[in-house]
Amino acid sequence: MTSRLFWIAVALAVWAVLPFVVPRNIADLLVFTGIYSIAGLGIGLLLGHCGIVNLAQATFYGLGAYASAYCTVMMGLPSAVGFVAGAVISMALAYVIGRPILRLTGYFLALGTLALSAIASALFFEWDWLTGGTLGIGGIPKLDLFGFVLDRPSRYYFFVWIVAFACMAVARNLVNSRTGLMLRAMRDSSTAAASLSIDLQGLRTRVFVVCALFGSLAGSLFAHHASFVSTQSFTVDRSISFLLIPVIGGATSIPGIVAGAVFVTFLPEFLSKLGDIHQILFGLALVAVVVMLPDGLMGAVGRIRAWRAARRGGDAG
Amino acid sequence: MTLSLVLQAVFAGVTNGMVYALVGMGLAAIFKGSRVINAMQGEFSVIGAMTTVLLLTKAGWPYPAAIAGGALAGALVGAFIEVAFVRYMAKKNASEDSFLLLTIGLALTLSASILFFVGRDGHLLPPLGGEGVLIVLDAVIQFHALWLIAIGIGATLLLRAFFHRTTVGLSMMAASIDADGAATTGINVARMRTFTFVLGGVLGAAGGILVTPLIGVDYQLGLNLTLKGFAAAVLGGLTNPLGAAVGGLTLGLVESLAIIGISSSYKDVVAFSVLIVIMILMPQGILGRAGRRGG
Amino acid sequence: MSLSSIARLAGAAALVGMSAFAVQAQTSGEPIKIGAIVSATGAGAGLGIPERNGMLLAEKTINAKGGINGRPIKLIVEDDASNPDTALSKANDLLFSQKVVGLIGPSLTASTVAIGGVTHANKFPQIAFTGIGPAVEKERKCLAHVLPPQKLNAQALLEYARSIKATKVGVLHDAGYGNVVMAEIRPLADSYGVKLVAVEKFEVGATDTTTQAAKVKAAQPDALFIIATSATPFRNVKQLQMAQPVVAAIGSSSYEYVNAMGPGADNVVIPEFVVGEDPLPHQKAFVDLYKQTYNSTPKNFEAAGWDAVHVMAQAIGKAGPNATPQAICDAMRGPYSGVLANFNFSADDMTGIPLSSFVFSKLVNGKYTRTPFRIAQ
Repeated sequence: MTSRLFWIAVALAVWAVLPFVVPRNIADLLVFTGIYSIAGLGIGLLLGHCGIVNLAQATFYGLGAYASAYCTVMMGLPSAVGFVAGAVISMALAYVIGRPILRLTGYFLALGTLALSAIASALFFEWDWLTGGTLGIGGIPKLDLFGFVLDRPSRYYFFVWIVAFACMAVARNLVNSRTGLMLRAMRDSSTAAASLSIDLQGLRTRVFVVCALFGSLAGSLFAHHASFVSTQSFTVDRSISFLLIPVIGGATSIPGIVAGAVFVTFLPEFLSKLGDIHQILFGLALVAVVVMLPDGLMGAVGRIRAWRAARRGGDAG
Repeated sequence: MTLSLVLQAVFAGVTNGMVYALVGMGLAAIFKGSRVINAMQGEFSVIGAMTTVLLLTKAGWPYPAAIAGGALAGALVGAFIEVAFVRYMAKKNASEDSFLLLTIGLALTLSASILFFVGRDGHLLPPLGGEGVLIVLDAVIQFHALWLIAIGIGATLLLRAFFHRTTVGLSMMAASIDADGAATTGINVARMRTFTFVLGGVLGAAGGILVTPLIGVDYQLGLNLTLKGFAAAVLGGLTNPLGAAVGGLTLGLVESLAIIGISSSYKDVVAFSVLIVIMILMPQGILGRAGRRGG
Repeated sequence: MSLSSIARLAGAAALVGMSAFAVQAQTSGEPIKIGAIVSATGAGAGLGIPERNGMLLAEKTINAKGGINGRPIKLIVEDDASNPDTALSKANDLLFSQKVVGLIGPSLTASTVAIGGVTHANKFPQIAFTGIGPAVEKERKCLAHVLPPQKLNAQALLEYARSIKATKVGVLHDAGYGNVVMAEIRPLADSYGVKLVAVEKFEVGATDTTTQAAKVKAAQPDALFIIATSATPFRNVKQLQMAQPVVAAIGSSSYEYVNAMGPGADNVVIPEFVVGEDPLPHQKAFVDLYKQTYNSTPKNFEAAGWDAVHVMAQAIGKAGPNATPQAICDAMRGPYSGVLANFNFSADDMTGIPLSSFVFSKLVNGKYTRTPFRIAQ
């Protein structure tokens, strides 16, 4: 038990020191990793515990980002308003759209969420009086915590990751609670779950709304990090990237989400040193991970642990 | 809004719809035979078209031979993917999401490879029937588009007959519905799955070759086609090639009618909203019955 | 081997190395590092790759002529994969880890605005391959642009329409770049005597625009404006047998689009700057050098890359060897006569290109020709 606490303490220490010892662009990537972890967390909840493929996360990411941008730049309101506005709009939209769409299942639902993402992307382009269109909205101020301005990656890092840890705590609670049990029952056998009079629709909608909330928070954090938002960041491609995160990392584990976010943020950066061929290599790396590690990166870790435990047990016996 | 404009919209809608249908049929064929959602179906189209372009312009082959070469390229790539990746993953009982991610990764790799090896240029192919057009009431449709529609309809009917009338086709369906049961009747499940991917590859390549004279092929075309083809296939119930054709036509017509009926600015919004409404109102897919294998 | 023979070997090697240098150029000392970010992959590759070619040619040429006051320049080029988030990462790397003295690029407006936040806050000079974008860029006095603002592009299109006496114009434009230019055309159209009889939009990356083109055709315009970064609308217009002259925006001018237009690459006029097949006198040297080096004909984006490096090098030279980035930025703000156009980086739009710099090319059967039309100023 104590060895586990020890390793957690070590991990926390490393986390706290990291932004100060790495070069600035790596600190920048670590901030993105945090932001993508939050967005990927929601997708992971839907995928790992509900068996739902959600390709609409870019919509809520975009709503959060535009809400923050619009409230601070166009209306001159404090940043907190942007965060809250984005979250409220996203959750409301998720509820209203979710109720009818979540009645679909399987690939129909995936297509439904994809359609939602495409509609939102088209509207972001079209309503350029609100979003600035391709030119976007620039000059979004950095976050200001009672006078302490988070104007560089090494400072913003802490804010982002604390929000990420909070979201992870919420996710963990959801998974370990009765709701989590019901979710897994629904995923594994919906007829059995229905026979136990579990409100499947209500349950799925609730998780969809939580996913949208996480997406919106990630978007608002992104707006204050890049200080600029434009339509290109919120297309269907982005939704697909968010889907990659839990699948690569292992959808049912929270460390897996972080591993997936690290993969999606850092790998393209390192590969780009190899020249124009880097896009091809990223695709190949993705294929390699999927083929060789069917349970994602965390699944592989789990299997290594089990193998070592078996060896130890074998030697002892 | 004149009759001429409506007719033009119908022409464009049916032509585009048939393109989506061809991609969707390949997707449906692969799903029907292996239960894998092929996110790189559009890339088969690009590979087929690019190969034909290269054989025609760089190697100087005659057009029919180049087309055959393009279709063969699609078949070979399909077979390669099945043998190299899908078979291995199936043996390890990978989840459906893993297969989806595999095809997404392959799609990214292929699109980037085409940019890297062939370049960023767009390419055209000679249209069937030359540059000639048919004009009805001031609405214009190219001869090539008419050929595309005819070939698309033919392919749909052939595919349906293949799956329901031929031994190979029936075996492929059996192998995907119940692999163990199929094996006990002597069906080589792995080989059937390879055939499925070959079929998907050829259909995709054919679609690409047919579409290129109208819209040109470049490294970015794949994803667009895949998304539209996916919509067509799902609308049609995902395992029904005839359904994919109907789904594709529906999508194409909704798009062009939305442009003239509402506004070109909201075309995507309208088209995708209609898509969602259709899915909710017709949970069995547009063709109903045995259609909803996607659920 | 004995110590003395090693020493002799080393001495010989040094002599050989130094003589190689002497043959090439008399540059010596620590190279001056200049950062560059372009979209070499992804949707913007059509812009980024020619820009990079132009930049690398400029680097070679400058170093062959002795560098900046004897010191060679070293261009560090990164790819933002057409993604503004990646551009931001690369900018942080170049500015803070690699310690470049200035930044050139990027290729896409979204990336420019994203990076601009960092270069502006830290007072680094930046030369972007985009026209000035949202309002926030006006405050960024260290961010120069070597491509015209969309308002200027809009004016050029309207000037040509007026010159061919087109009073009714139909527009086909995409939802990205097209929207931006349309926003500039609308308020100006009346003053050029132009009525916009039909304006139809298609999404970026659309595979077919036939229906939209048909709507424009139904309005019977005298001329067509096509504003897109795609060959598709040009093909569709031809397929619908529309005979009106087409005026296209500079974004459609690259050869890869022209090749994909097929028969649509005919009777299309483009207000641009460099017509490699028939360059203006002051552009000839660059065009010939480019053709010699790369065996292909350059156009606007290659010239923009060439000019950007030269502007940055000149500013660094003026500011002095150990100048701060802010000093280089101040040295940059003034007029410059480039291959692409005449610039004035102290102008409000940080570009200063006059309408008279535009050259109007015409596509005739897929080949570029230069029309004699110029805008008098």
